[in-house]
Amino acid sequence: MKTKPRVAVFDFADCEGCELEIADLEEEILELIDIVDIVSFREVMKEHSDTYDIAIVEGSIMRPMDEARLRNIRSKAKILVAMGACATMGGINKIRNQWMPDDVMTAVYGDADLEGNPLFDVFKTKAINEVVPVNYYIHGCPIDRDEFKHVITSIALGKKPEIPRYPVCVECKKNENICQFELGAFCLGPITRAGCKAICPTHNSVCEGCRGLIKKAETDCVKDLLERYKLSYEDIRRRCTMYNFGREECGVDE
Amino acid sequence: MKTITIDPITRLEGHGKISIFLNDAGDVENAYLQIPELRGFERFAQGRRAEDMPQITSRICGVCPVAHHFASTKALDAAFHVDPPSAAKKLRELLYCGYIIYDHILHFYFLGGPDFVVGPDAPAAKRNILGVLEKVGLDVGKDVIKHRAYGQKITAILGGKATHPVCGLPGGVSKGLSKDEVIEIKDMIVSCVGFAQFTLKVFDDVVLSNKKYMELICSDGYSLKTYNMGLVDKHNKMNFYDGKIRVTDPDGGEFALFDGKEYTEYIGEHVEDWTYMKYPYLKKIGWHGLHDGKNSGIYRVGPLGRLNASDGLATPLAEKEYKRMVETFGGKPIHSTLAFHWARLIELLYATERAKELIEDPKITSTHIRNDVGAPSEGVGVVEAARGTLIHHYTVDSHGLIKKANLVVATTNNAGAITMSVRDAAKAVIKGGKVDEGILNHVEMAFRAYDPCFGCATHTLPGGMPMVVNIYDSKKQLYRRFSRGVDE
Ligand code: SF4
Ligand code: SF4
Ligand code: SF4
Repeated sequence: MKTKPRVAVFDFADCEGCELEIADLEEEILELIDIVDIVSFREVMKEHSDTYDIAIVEGSIMRPMDEARLRNIRSKAKILVAMGACATMGGINKIRNQWMPDDVMTAVYGDADLEGNPLFDVFKTKAINEVVPVNYYIHGCPIDRDEFKHVITSIALGKKPEIPRYPVCVECKKNENICQFELGAFCLGPITRAGCKAICPTHNSVCEGCRGLIKKAETDCVKDLLERYKLSYEDIRRRCTMYNFGREECGVDE
Repeated sequence: MKTITIDPITRLEGHGKISIFLNDAGDVENAYLQIPELRGFERFAQGRRAEDMPQITSRICGVCPVAHHFASTKALDAAFHVDPPSAAKKLRELLYCGYIIYDHILHFYFLGGPDFVVGPDAPAAKRNILGVLEKVGLDVGKDVIKHRAYGQKITAILGGKATHPVCGLPGGVSKGLSKDEVIEIKDMIVSCVGFAQFTLKVFDDVVLSNKKYMELICSDGYSLKTYNMGLVDKHNKMNFYDGKIRVTDPDGGEFALFDGKEYTEYIGEHVEDWTYMKYPYLKKIGWHGLHDGKNSGIYRVGPLGRLNASDGLATPLAEKEYKRMVETFGGKPIHSTLAFHWARLIELLYATERAKELIEDPKITSTHIRNDVGAPSEGVGVVEAARGTLIHHYTVDSHGLIKKANLVVATTNNAGAITMSVRDAAKAVIKGGKVDEGILNHVEMAFRAYDPCFGCATHTLPGGMPMVVNIYDSKKQLYRRFSRGVDE
């Protein structure tokens, strides 16, 4: 039998919600352990190993010292997976990029003398793929547990994970929701990657785009909807500032 | 002078660590705690749509997103001058109970409890959930997982997402409950009530009936005579979701009772010039350094703070347990830091009982779940996060955009007390400049009681929290370093 791939999980600046989603997989985690060896995962285990095949990285890169740590992880891993919006596209953390880092520092720490303290050497927030190449993405804020299992299982079996390239609207319609535009709200569903089972509109809230943008061509299937509400890809794109702040195009490169 | 820095790993902006300062003789002179500053969030709130705040602020922390979500939603209610319909309030509170259920279970079985259930002197490798299961049995383990999952399931049904809810809106919630969902939730809650009672029994058997533990719990080293703070209802009973902020003094008398919106009159923030850390204190008493007692403005929040600041609990089973706890300690207030663990379990029972009341209320399925908002201005929202009083304060402009945001988080409220507890624990183990790895355990236990939420608590599910202890000599050169659970 082939040896199981060794998996290590790492976190940078974030809320750790995605790691907690994995920790809360409960019994299903046993199925995963059947096909991979988790060798490092600070959130749930004390053991740590520096030898791993697959590195799963959560969080955004905020400081030069994070960048160095990430490069080191990349150099050891054969496959690097960015997990959660913070990692795949900078997520909520990128909102602060609209200010200069100095400005944020002053707002947060006042006049405290932090010169030369690497913990406070803050630069613009970066997604993982702005620092090192990323092989696979697990989208969402937080991630979807089923999708996490699917991606990791696929990688372990040497298959390409199947991640939807169509918009959230497709799943939303399947759930027979009343469209948020119908209710006078503004929803990012038409240009956001599906895969979350459209939980937000199904809960009568708008989609905030936490799974990243899809390409314009992929929005063909919601042409009707866009026409009905006199919207274009670009119109909606301009409203994407919670999760997709500063992204030029798609949430990921494919 | 040597500086010891315990850095429980970078998180939001990379801090949340303990520095211990030694004097020339090598004894502990002082200890300080620095926790994550959240004003990065406060800064990036500026100019954003007010209605985005419940989503954005919940991402401060994946451990207590529900608390931030609702402190934020309540601040928006106030800012938009709208009182949500009663069904909406009930739904929010029910969701909140789900969060307390899963969070308090996590703390007792995974984080803080192992110190007791397995024993403070047990090797670190045993002081974890697996050690707990060894002691109480594997079947219990399944029950732990099941009921924690129930808490999450309840929050997911009501909130949309389990981790980061999407239901809170100024004036109400986005979605009501169906009859089927009521049945599903009720079954889970009934089971949770039983599990909470069972957990208190475990505490009884393993901790309360062990003389050695009780001596430790009642010992001076683990005692702080501070003020206490928490939300209370009209009858001064503890409440997680709503009410007034009550503060009692170290003798147990009422010191203040005020509306959340008056918090700036009561709570000041002390800044030490050598650090960027802020210590909240009671303004009317003033800041008099890191001391306990009636003349020091330092107060405690969280499970023990809440039970000390209130006149008990509004549900029958929890109230009975509360009375028993007060009796055991010979009256109120209870100053033992380690009593936080017991208080937490009593609150767990309360949350399950309260959830049961709410789900059995026929009006909870009402479809009137949102009221229209008025013109926005300023608003303060307060809830009791699992770890203590949490305040969100927003100023909103006429376009509904955030002009200013200020957050006072639970762990910050406890900063002064945690710092003192850590200092006292450190004093007991560091003598004449001798430092060894034992310091990690003792220091950990002192602040784990508070379940401080700066990433360390969450980082420790099965065992020791990841820590780096740096010891610097008088020239600030690193001279020793201990670490564990850190991937560097
Ligand atoms: S993607 Fe969301 S849930 Fe995951 S770590 Fe980032 S903020 Fe937390
Ligand atoms: S726009 Fe939003 S609410 Fe409307 S169909 Fe698409 S995802 Fe659903
Ligand atoms: S509906 Fe949108 S915001 Fe909600 S989880 Fe899905 S992608 Fe994220």
